[in-house]
Amino acid sequence: MTPELSIVVPLYNEEDSLRPLYEAITRAVAPLGISFEIVFVDDGSRDGTVSIADEIARSDPRVCLVKFRRNYGQTPAMAAGIAQASGDVIVTMDGDLQNDPADIGALLSKIDAGNDIVVGWRFDRQDKLVSRKIPSRIANALIAKVTGVPIKDNGCSLKAYRATLIKKIPLYSEMHRFIPAMASIAGPKIAEIKVQHHARQFGKSKYGLSRIYKVLLDLMVIKTVASFTARPMLWFGMLSVPMLVGAALAFACTVVQFASSGTLSLPIAGSGVIFLSSAIILMGSGALGELVYKLGDMREHEFSGLTQHIRVRSLIIQ
Amino acid sequence: MTTVTSEDQPLPLSVIMPVGNRYASDIAALYAEYKAGLAALEMPYEFIVVLDGPRPEVAASLQRLLARGESLIVISLTKRFGEATALMAGFQRASGRIIVTAPAYHQVQGAEIGKLVRGLDKADLVIGRRWPRVGSRFEVMRRNLFHSLIAAGGQRFNDLGCGARAMKRRVLEEISLYGDQHRFLPVLANRQGFRILEIDLAQSPLDRYESGYPVREYVHRVLDILTVFFLVRFTKKPLRFFGMVGATTFVIGAVLVTWLAIDRLVFLHPLADRPALLLSSLLVVLGMQLFALGLLGELIIFTHARDIKDYQVDEVIRYPEGAVTGGRAGAAQLDTSDTSRSRVA
Repeated sequence: MTPELSIVVPLYNEEDSLRPLYEAITRAVAPLGISFEIVFVDDGSRDGTVSIADEIARSDPRVCLVKFRRNYGQTPAMAAGIAQASGDVIVTMDGDLQNDPADIGALLSKIDAGNDIVVGWRFDRQDKLVSRKIPSRIANALIAKVTGVPIKDNGCSLKAYRATLIKKIPLYSEMHRFIPAMASIAGPKIAEIKVQHHARQFGKSKYGLSRIYKVLLDLMVIKTVASFTARPMLWFGMLSVPMLVGAALAFACTVVQFASSGTLSLPIAGSGVIFLSSAIILMGSGALGELVYKLGDMREHEFSGLTQHIRVRSLIIQ
Repeated sequence: MTTVTSEDQPLPLSVIMPVGNRYASDIAALYAEYKAGLAALEMPYEFIVVLDGPRPEVAASLQRLLARGESLIVISLTKRFGEATALMAGFQRASGRIIVTAPAYHQVQGAEIGKLVRGLDKADLVIGRRWPRVGSRFEVMRRNLFHSLIAAGGQRFNDLGCGARAMKRRVLEEISLYGDQHRFLPVLANRQGFRILEIDLAQSPLDRYESGYPVREYVHRVLDILTVFFLVRFTKKPLRFFGMVGATTFVIGAVLVTWLAIDRLVFLHPLADRPALLLSSLLVVLGMQLFALGLLGELIIFTHARDIKDYQVDEVIRYPEGAVTGGRAGAAQLDTSDTSRSRVA
């Protein structure tokens, strides 16, 4: 029998928090009266995480442990957990006890209200101001602005998804921060609710400032991929329009100059050539992109069918 | 070419010998050496020879071996595809739980091959290292350089050129090799999280380094390093690579252009005879081109994201209801190996 809810928790060296986390989850979800499973994903931990998770799995058949051979990172861990999960609704959360499982009920009721994705917002975040909160604030503003998905806290792992939707979203690289933005290709209904956030009790933070440049590049990827997926030719073509205009102007200028004085201005003619070649490169890339998209298996029509399917469904929660 | 099949039950051991450009003139003697080495293991095994392209000489001596009643499996590829492809072709036919690859020329002493298999207790992939090893000073230097370049990507190996390796079946199931990537199997396996052990094997007295490879060979090696570096580091994130290089080039070019423009407009220095103009505008175009390449790469990844898996699941542990009491004996592990294959490392 498939459970109604799957809780996916990536773990990386969390031997201290694992057992309290498991207890907190069962305590929080049991009163909701729905069937559930917990999918722990061990991301190549080098401490006792695996043996503790194994013990938990042995004592509770609802718990499943997916083991990686080495450390791959949070996004692959999430992706593996989501692939393994069999519930109708999938909730993801961090393994470090900073998210509170007590919020799962609220997430579920939002899903029940017809949303496809519900994200948590750590409105009272318990982290260092300078190294964590301020960069995060800036990043979130930027992500919201660029992707057009107005979420205040993309970094919060506590999120709930309809399984049919999230299983179709490609998750790779370090995309877990951008799942809502990525999912926006499918046009889902997204809601955001306030969730608790606790200070870290065990272990230390596994992220630093170094991820900023990765976030920026990933953001650029999502923006471009999301905006041009269906029509790369158009997208690259639009980029090449100013180049073409520049080239036309430069050539016109050269011709006029040559006709009037009989001499060429090298800088102007040269920049015309460069504009033209850039435009051609961009358009060629667009054509190639069109080909790639045509041969790929990630097309928009797949999502359109999906979304309609989701909208008429409703999960029953007592 | 006849193909002799052994019994159709899973064997503990399959030995694959890809025969590429370089092979021993006396394949029969080489085979006898390996056979002696394998006999010491006291395990049933199958011996697969893959001919990478038509090799009439080798085929003839194999024919003689077959006529003598040796149990060999011979696979001939229609043309030369590269040693790694030949290896994979052999692997598709192999049924052993352990796969041993044996070089087709005298690299290591055949009697040593059993050592590799025994090393599998402690690792998933055991690679041989010819040690002690002969070679000119230049050759030693070249080898060291090659291996330290590769080591920049992780674990250090000392003899990637050695074709004698033993591995668990899973290693080849999860890694797809093609062309001439066989050399980099340990690097790619390391990337997938397999444990790798390097074992010293006595070099065969017949393994003579032919003084100097053709230059083409060196160029190929350098390109191979680039390929592996790119495969290992950036396949999933083309924009990280192209974007970084492209953006840097673009910015340098743009700064130069701006400076030239100011120089022209404010300080009235004539532009026409300045090579810097050419350089800067070329940098701008190059940067754009690289960036566009990166975006195309991202599009490829995105549209194929479902085939390309970023990770390998070691095992999924789920204890079914009822088996929940007591020790591990009552436990069932479902799905112990996720055999879905990933494209690249």
